[in-house]
Amino acid sequence: MTTFRTFFRLMAASAILAAQGVTAQAEFAAVGNPSPAVILFGQSDDGGWSQSIDEARGTLEEELDLRIPMAEEVPESATAIRPAAELFIERGANIILGSAFGYSDTFKELSEQYPDVVFINPAGTTNGDNLKSVYGRTYESQYLCGMVAGGLTESNKLGFVAANPFGLVNWTVNAYLMGARQVNPDAELTVVFTGAWADPVKERAAAEALIEQGIDVIGQHVDTPTVQIVAAEKGIYGTGHHRDLSEFSEATQCSSIWTWDKFLKPEIEKIAAGEFEPAPYGAFLSIAEGGTDIACCGPAVSEELKAQVMAERDAIINGKHVFAGPLSDRDGTERVAEGEVLGDGDLWGMDWFVDGVSGQ
Amino acid sequence: MSDFLLNWLINIPGFAAPFALAALGLIITERAGVLNLGAEGFMLVGALAGVGAMLNGSAPLLALGGSVVAGMLLGLLFAVMVASLRINHVISGLALVFFAQALVSFIASAERWNNKAIAGLEPVFLGQDVVIFAVPLLTLAVLWLLNKTRFGLSLRAVGENPGAADAAGIDVTAMRFAAIVIGAGLIGLAGGYLTVAVARIWVDTVVGGRGWIAIALVIFARWHPWRAVLGAVLFGCIEALIPRIAATGADVPRYFLQMTPYLATLGVMIWAALRGSDRWAQPAALGQHHIREERD
Repeated sequence: MTTFRTFFRLMAASAILAAQGVTAQAEFAAVGNPSPAVILFGQSDDGGWSQSIDEARGTLEEELDLRIPMAEEVPESATAIRPAAELFIERGANIILGSAFGYSDTFKELSEQYPDVVFINPAGTTNGDNLKSVYGRTYESQYLCGMVAGGLTESNKLGFVAANPFGLVNWTVNAYLMGARQVNPDAELTVVFTGAWADPVKERAAAEALIEQGIDVIGQHVDTPTVQIVAAEKGIYGTGHHRDLSEFSEATQCSSIWTWDKFLKPEIEKIAAGEFEPAPYGAFLSIAEGGTDIACCGPAVSEELKAQVMAERDAIINGKHVFAGPLSDRDGTERVAEGEVLGDGDLWGMDWFVDGVSGQ
Repeated sequence: MSDFLLNWLINIPGFAAPFALAALGLIITERAGVLNLGAEGFMLVGALAGVGAMLNGSAPLLALGGSVVAGMLLGLLFAVMVASLRINHVISGLALVFFAQALVSFIASAERWNNKAIAGLEPVFLGQDVVIFAVPLLTLAVLWLLNKTRFGLSLRAVGENPGAADAAGIDVTAMRFAAIVIGAGLIGLAGGYLTVAVARIWVDTVVGGRGWIAIALVIFARWHPWRAVLGAVLFGCIEALIPRIAATGADVPRYFLQMTPYLATLGVMIWAALRGSDRWAQPAALGQHHIREERD
């Protein structure tokens, strides 16, 4: 499963770029009474990615007064996804919510087979008249967590444990240090890639090795809270990913979290009103649109620092772009010119690091 | 630099131990002619049992005892499948892995054991815990059991030529039962060590393919206990080294380093194939059933 996931994240960038453009049809067959169902590829209580979607499901049930059934641990293969989706559809579901890159192709096939059903797939890459893939601009939330890290560090050495080096991971690494330098220009960041999304053995090894090198705040873009737990054991601070990881560790002072319900609630209402808007490249959600946000702050964060972070959050909501020019990578190559911002295509393809980031 | 070396050396045994324990368990099982592809599954149940016991207030060593028992229980199921019912070893082993994966997810979710930090096994000497010191002793015990006891002789006979062993009055089914259950206990311990001593957390991906690496290690070791421990140390060196080099910020050829243990495994297999058979080669009846009335 991990392998599939690694593959999915690696492919995400290029696949999104290559996603076939679809002709936007203004009129989508109205759904009427929305009846969503959720298909999770992980456990609904995995503490991270899958749980964030399941928690949105709970919120939606309450706020929209719906019963939303869920199937969990559905592997990323057509033979597993199809029966789950079709069973929900047979039982009257008209909105199918996915949760994985590996669902992309099967959702595409299903969306063509069931034109009256709307498919929405977080972390997916395929889109169509009744299919939309969504992801969050996690560089915004990780930038804000980086500010917290920059404000907390005394050694000016920050650590980061990430899964694999490619676009959507690299942008969190870069944004994290850029946020840290916003409050602490001397901050440096060392990143260790584990090569796996959820391997607590490797995550612990990476965190311990970074702490041996003198870091005193650690961020993460992996799926388990192991890094946060190690931070607590060693008496340093941490920042989490996916969900508010202070649930698992007292070290966690800020987390980049998913806020799917904020996007899904109006989206489902639009679908119900027959106003679903297809998007040829899917939805790439900012904090303002409700894909991602921060859970902040822990007790170690001063009121002053918290105010700074929240002011930047407001600025981002009001249109500030994290990757605004002039911006060069650590080798000195200019990546964003003065007065410009990094385009979405360049974000997905990000294969460079800003000055101050050590590691691959 | 000396800090770097020290930190690296201190961390090697912890990474090596799960591979060594699992490989020893596999060697016992496979010396009796049972091809065991279920290592990942035995490690998973052992890993979960260890965490479950810790979360319910048991001491770390007792929790590891629970891992052994959990491995043995799953071993009993495997033994019934391959030794009694004579189901294909490959299929049984693979089915067991899938079964264990679903079982541990189910139990962990029902009991809410996911992502909870546990205290872990404390070091006793030189930064190492008791299990580390037990590994060489266990290796000696396995060697003694296989080479110096009547039980071991019978076990190996069953693995080399079950027909002849049967004719000599050895109960082939019973020997295979015993080999599977003892081996599964050790593999369960390997899984328990991974969660109780190393990761100190449960997520259902915690074993992360290490059971498969153990299977490769056994082939690398040509079914010899010391060589398996050596191979485990080699893997431990790499696993402890990669994050430490990366944490210094050095640009390391990570994929090359990750490749090296497998390269060594391939090298040993080629070397063994060119060299021909030796005393510690693959058991001749590995993966074969013995049915008394049928001629081989």
